[in-house]
Amino acid sequence: MTALIAVVMALAAISAIGVVLSPQTIYSALSLVVTVTMISVLFLLLNAQFLFAVQLIIYAGAVMVLFVFIIALLNPEAEDRPALDYRAMIGLAAVAAVTILVFVTARNGITYGSGGFRGQQVGAASNPYHTFAFGADAVNAAGNVQTVAGQLFTTYLLPFEITSLLLLVAAIGAVYLTRRTKEAA
Amino acid sequence: MISTGAFPYLLGLSAFLFTIGAAGVLIRRNPIVVLMCIELMLNAGNIALIAYGRFLNSVEGQIFAFMVIVVAAAEVVVGLALVTAIFRLGRELDVDDLSEMSE
Repeated sequence: MTALIAVVMALAAISAIGVVLSPQTIYSALSLVVTVTMISVLFLLLNAQFLFAVQLIIYAGAVMVLFVFIIALLNPEAEDRPALDYRAMIGLAAVAAVTILVFVTARNGITYGSGGFRGQQVGAASNPYHTFAFGADAVNAAGNVQTVAGQLFTTYLLPFEITSLLLLVAAIGAVYLTRRTKEAA
Repeated sequence: MISTGAFPYLLGLSAFLFTIGAAGVLIRRNPIVVLMCIELMLNAGNIALIAYGRFLNSVEGQIFAFMVIVVAAAEVVVGLALVTAIFRLGRELDVDDLSEMSE
């Protein structure tokens, strides 16, 4: 199992580098397909079965098909070289430093017990709106889609509905941006 | 299942993917590739969210990752519509040339 995790993580990292360094846009898109598929495998190993299915259907399915469709439609030419001047190098160093700082800080903010992480559900006791407060055993059970749905449709119902409004606004915006105007036609 | 010993490696992969995505946004000039690199950064955030949710015994990480996926889908739809609109104007697809607003 550990070897599987290492292979999956290595493939995700290598294909992510391929996304940035491929001169052809279509190769970047196909590398990104590999990356999101490997990330979905990580989700499955992390006991997030619902997110595994969503990642495969939305990302590897819908979003990447949209990317490939737009690339086939517009046929962008290959870049001769990435614009890697000194400003980009300074920006890269700053981004890497801030990212490492944030992740190390977040990593050290975790409370460790003797057996690793502490075994209580975060926020369950203090939040009165946790009508579906599940214990650690329910959350860590193999197949916790039901507990995710229980939280999503009770505690986080309002954000869930707002995302549906966001999708509607995005669809209207896409139609508005790509419409054929009279002077262009 | 992944043991808790793999948690730092997951965070490291998340940080690496985020940095690679930010590097792509900085050095690539094709707006389609820039959008793909933004997707890479959002995916890196999702890995961190789900890893924290898994090892803190919480499903909130999965719920927030779900919200991030929905927002990323909306963002890609609007971004690719913008790319198509720019292409229809007869402009070259190069983010360095699209600088009228900053002048």
